[in-house]
Amino acid sequence: MSSQKSWHFSRREMLKGGGIALALPLLNCMGRAMGATVPAGKEIPKRMMVSYFAYGAYMPSSPEGIPLLTKPHHEWDWWPCRETGPLTFNKSSAPFADLKNEISYLRGLDHKGGWALGGHSSGDVFATGADMVGLERTNNISIDQVAAKYHGHKTRYASLVLGTEGGTGAYGRTKTLSHRGPGQPIPSLSKPQEIFNGLFNPYAGKGVENVRANLKRDASVLDLMMDQSSSFKRRLGHEDQQKVEEYLESIRTLEKRVERTSEWTHKPLAQVDTKGLNIEVSHKDPQEYIRCMYDLIYLAFRTDYTRYATLMLESEQSQGSELWNYATYVLGYKGATHDIAHKRPEGYSGDWDKWRAEQHAYFLKRLRDTPEGDGNMLDHTAVIWGSAHPHGSHSTKNYPIQIAGGGKLGIKHGNLHAFEGDKKVPLANLYTTLLNAVDVPTEKFADSTGEMSEILA
Amino acid sequence: MYFKRRHPILTVLSFLMSIGSTFAEIPLGEGGFKAQVKPFFEKHCVECHGPEKSKGKITLHTLDGDLTAGQELERWETILDVLELKEMPPEDEPQPDDAERQAVAKWIKGGMRDYVENAKKHEATPIARRLTNFEYENTMRDLLGIDLKLIDGLSEDPIAPYKFNNTADFMLMGPEQVERYLATARRAMASAIVDPEKPEVFKTRTEWKPIGNTMGQANDEVGIWINGRGTAGQGMGLKGFPATGEFRIRFQASAILTEGVKEIPLRLVMGYDLQVNSSTLEVEPVGTVYLSNSPDNPEIFELHGRIENFPVETMQPNKQGMTVSGNLSITPQNLHDDGTLNDNNRYHHWPRQMEMPRAVINWMEFEGPITDVWPPAHHTAILFDSPDRETNPEKYVREVLGRFMSRAYRRPAEKDEVAQFENIYALIRKDAPSFEAAMRETLAMVLISPQFLYHTVADEKVVPPDYEIASRLSYFLWGSMPDRELIQLAADGKLKDKAVIEQQTLRLLADTRSSDFIRNFTSQWMSLDKLKTIPINSDVFPRFLYYVPAGERAGTEMPYLPTIRDHMVDETVGFVAELIKRNAAASNLVNSDFAYLNEPLAAHYGIEGVKGMKFRPVSIKPEQRLGGLLTHGSILIGNGTGTAPHPIYRAVWLREAVLGDEVKPPPADVPALTDTAGKSAEKALSIKDLLALHRTQESCNDCHVRLDPWGIPFEHYNAVGKFQPKTPKEGVKVRPFSDALDTDLNGYNKYLESINTVEVEAEARVPHGPSVNGMEELKEFLIKDRLNDVASNMLRRFTSYAIGRELTYKDRFEIEKILSESEKDGYLLRDMIIKVCQSAAFNETRQNPN
Repeated sequence: MSSQKSWHFSRREMLKGGGIALALPLLNCMGRAMGATVPAGKEIPKRMMVSYFAYGAYMPSSPEGIPLLTKPHHEWDWWPCRETGPLTFNKSSAPFADLKNEISYLRGLDHKGGWALGGHSSGDVFATGADMVGLERTNNISIDQVAAKYHGHKTRYASLVLGTEGGTGAYGRTKTLSHRGPGQPIPSLSKPQEIFNGLFNPYAGKGVENVRANLKRDASVLDLMMDQSSSFKRRLGHEDQQKVEEYLESIRTLEKRVERTSEWTHKPLAQVDTKGLNIEVSHKDPQEYIRCMYDLIYLAFRTDYTRYATLMLESEQSQGSELWNYATYVLGYKGATHDIAHKRPEGYSGDWDKWRAEQHAYFLKRLRDTPEGDGNMLDHTAVIWGSAHPHGSHSTKNYPIQIAGGGKLGIKHGNLHAFEGDKKVPLANLYTTLLNAVDVPTEKFADSTGEMSEILA
Repeated sequence: MYFKRRHPILTVLSFLMSIGSTFAEIPLGEGGFKAQVKPFFEKHCVECHGPEKSKGKITLHTLDGDLTAGQELERWETILDVLELKEMPPEDEPQPDDAERQAVAKWIKGGMRDYVENAKKHEATPIARRLTNFEYENTMRDLLGIDLKLIDGLSEDPIAPYKFNNTADFMLMGPEQVERYLATARRAMASAIVDPEKPEVFKTRTEWKPIGNTMGQANDEVGIWINGRGTAGQGMGLKGFPATGEFRIRFQASAILTEGVKEIPLRLVMGYDLQVNSSTLEVEPVGTVYLSNSPDNPEIFELHGRIENFPVETMQPNKQGMTVSGNLSITPQNLHDDGTLNDNNRYHHWPRQMEMPRAVINWMEFEGPITDVWPPAHHTAILFDSPDRETNPEKYVREVLGRFMSRAYRRPAEKDEVAQFENIYALIRKDAPSFEAAMRETLAMVLISPQFLYHTVADEKVVPPDYEIASRLSYFLWGSMPDRELIQLAADGKLKDKAVIEQQTLRLLADTRSSDFIRNFTSQWMSLDKLKTIPINSDVFPRFLYYVPAGERAGTEMPYLPTIRDHMVDETVGFVAELIKRNAAASNLVNSDFAYLNEPLAAHYGIEGVKGMKFRPVSIKPEQRLGGLLTHGSILIGNGTGTAPHPIYRAVWLREAVLGDEVKPPPADVPALTDTAGKSAEKALSIKDLLALHRTQESCNDCHVRLDPWGIPFEHYNAVGKFQPKTPKEGVKVRPFSDALDTDLNGYNKYLESINTVEVEAEARVPHGPSVNGMEELKEFLIKDRLNDVASNMLRRFTSYAIGRELTYKDRFEIEKILSESEKDGYLLRDMIIKVCQSAAFNETRQNPN
């Protein structure tokens, strides 16, 4: 359904037609962010992205996430093939067929910390691996934030946290993948216009000198705010003090952020090629919307504004949001998106997975088709795509996991690996491996027991 | 799934008491534990809840008998609940005799009470929590004196079904949130404080003449559905409008009514131009007027609003390519709806559209900003007139800050607090372009200070805790800051008086702002949000939703009019409000002799004689199958699949929202319903059959045996919330209304009857109770056997919402006390609210020592 008037220019059309770049502050030549080559002496960024889809995937020949030996591999099973080793593709995974050498499928992995979380709650720990029924009830730091702490200072934004529903959600019903640490979920951003402006139009049209002066004043004001809030805090009872400490910590973080933004005003803003980007999309058009979110991550990577991103493609427990109706909008399915997970209707379940695969493949291909160094952007970006459930939407074991990219980071692709039975290792081993691949020296992440040598070249 | 009982059951209790005297009391403490309680557990419980099995993740073998240490009391409370309720041991296991059961329950309770009483002496409950977004927006409205829509700019509040989002534990704070608070505060202050010079005033006026057109309606008429170009129904585009400020719309209107219709609602919306079929439809309502006067007696109406709250259509192309100047249109909507609108678009076309009432608008004027008084009152309330402003600017700033902060903090701002903001002001003033600009920024900082954003209790040596009580009352019953009267009572120390609390509670409830409380409370209590996103299957229910009859959007749901689903939310919220207003008994929640309806909703439920769009209490008869909350469309649709009823969702709703049980989500290792059935649920099997299959697995049965029976008696109510004891055969596609085949609604109903051939079963035996067939028997059972649970749940929900935290075992004894006081007059709901406001939990303002 077109929601544009015929005579009403959409941003997309305007950009397509005229080839006009948006009126962003364009400061000297930022060719390098755009260009195919990286100047001498400049390291190629090593990036990481985590994306999550909810309610598991259709696995008629492997409902528990590992193959049933009694059935042949189903053409609509989420897993592209049954045998470990070189990938072959079925109907569900067809969108990835020409990315064969850029992706791997990993079977039999999960987070032990999510096992005992309720059916739809294990998505909370997808990027953290925290033991949420045990010692880490308020969750813990996510993989992207570990990396952001280490290298985040090198880019204008330490990380980019996106989600289709936005916000943090509540425990057991997260709407973000990223957490700074226990009790510190980072609200995901869901509005393309806002994300775009936040990233690429940070000065909102004001001159950079003006912006810098404002930031300087903001820093001083925040300092005074810190004083006044601290003296207020001292008047409170013990438990209330703890609550207000959350606030003080936020002000401290903002102070640092202002300082950082101020430093970055001395560096030129990137020129952004927004061709094909439609930031006025709505959930009524799921494909446009999801691709726009992917596009924004692509642009943030391309401009090296950030190197780490998470994208909650779908939240578990999406009742009350438009995501609940995505399958209706996309496929005409007469039920809630969530019902696909429970009913697994033939004729819709496979199509739904394929549609999700198409969107993710779109993103991977954009990265792959952008040259960088002696390879392409995908070669320097490790991308995780998965869910915290296999077929049975209440199961929390044997996640569907695909990883892509990072060929130049030492990751070897093209295979299906199986980690079930006596080969079982924590999913956190993959995370540890990826952190090391993006130069974040990590011995242990969550409950990891080592690296995952199988995917290393 | 297992159930955690949140509240005591008086009926069971009093029954136990009556026979208790024959059984020896177990001595409190470890002695009694070892001698009698532990052996009891070993005999009846440990087999399933011990070292071997731990069903429901509850084990009893490791408990020691020392409750005074305050350890494991949550677990003890769970045990106490299931003992009192006789939920455990399961029905098919040997049962302890009642005296023994009661003695153990009494022993647990005694120990728990001792601990709680003792702990109260030295331990206060933490209070700090941030304002919810709902509270924030309301507070800004009352603080600044202008009604701005601010919630969209804030981080969303976390939601969890059947929980209140003001629960302190949910209310996290992070830097992203503070950033949004700051941006929002700056936006609000930009509106609140104006520049000294009078701004340009924009005016637009349009007139419509009563000449005819081909659609049958005259040009000055507003019909339902789509109106022709250039008619009053298409409204007017503004030639210019301000970026900020209050506007006024005046118009002269009347109504052409039809038989039986006494008045019709005319709503104005403003934003994008709706006359184009493919508009993005971003509009906000300005207001609604009810028209009952005939065109011979036109009347002039006036509506006001803030221009900032309306979406401006940007990016109009012009010959040069593009401008970003905005466009804003006002569209009047005739909201009359007799419940037949979707009958094959019958009222879209002439001559049938003439059968529906129409509004007439002769002319309309827009004017903004309003500068009758400049600067406006909301500005001078902050930057008041004072000679000090010129002669002693420092003193003036201090006074401005002191007054504003005392209102923002809901208590007198302390001297040093004001001094700190004087410093902030001084810093900001240095490079601010004007005094007003500096004040905007400084006050925005006040609005991101923790004193504003959080509910806290300050040191009582400095600020009397009475102010906190004033705030609690207003945030409970208005969702906003206290007004002048409450603050004055706090200042006078009068809020310690229970009679004053009662009088204030009644005053606040009588104020229109209490409708915000009831809407917010009810929506979360009932998890009403689900209703809006359930995809209604139009193959099965072709005339439930209203579809666009023509144009590019034909066949999609009518996007910008209130829909039957909105009416259903209003029904539930309005029903609860009506019960509180009447001080009705809690049994009305389960069954009542009235329903709360308007015309389209009454038509949906099949109730005749309800005319007009305004909601009202309507007396009902038993055969109309309504009454109480259980039959509300909002509940039945929200807890269905859009195609079929869903007994589990409805059972969970009943247990959570009405009986007050906490139903745990299915455990991770339990397969989904359909997986246990072994085939796709789309194929033929009814959910009831699926459940039966599901229960054959022991791991599923443990929980479902106690869950499913509560949902089955709802089965006669279909997925769009109507009583429908017979359904079509599986897979039958129901055809929509057809003019040719049905002639009228009765004809269509006959067609439905002819295809509804399969009897729906709705009989189930409730756990530890009788067999219940259908809704009437379910309601009867609930009122007869479970009324105390219903009342207790209501009381606990009011309390939890009022104090902003979930209740624990520590609150148990006070809840029991209020409940037993309320029992004698049948648990009157408004009285319950008063008692909550007078309770110790509500009035707790001590702080724990650091």
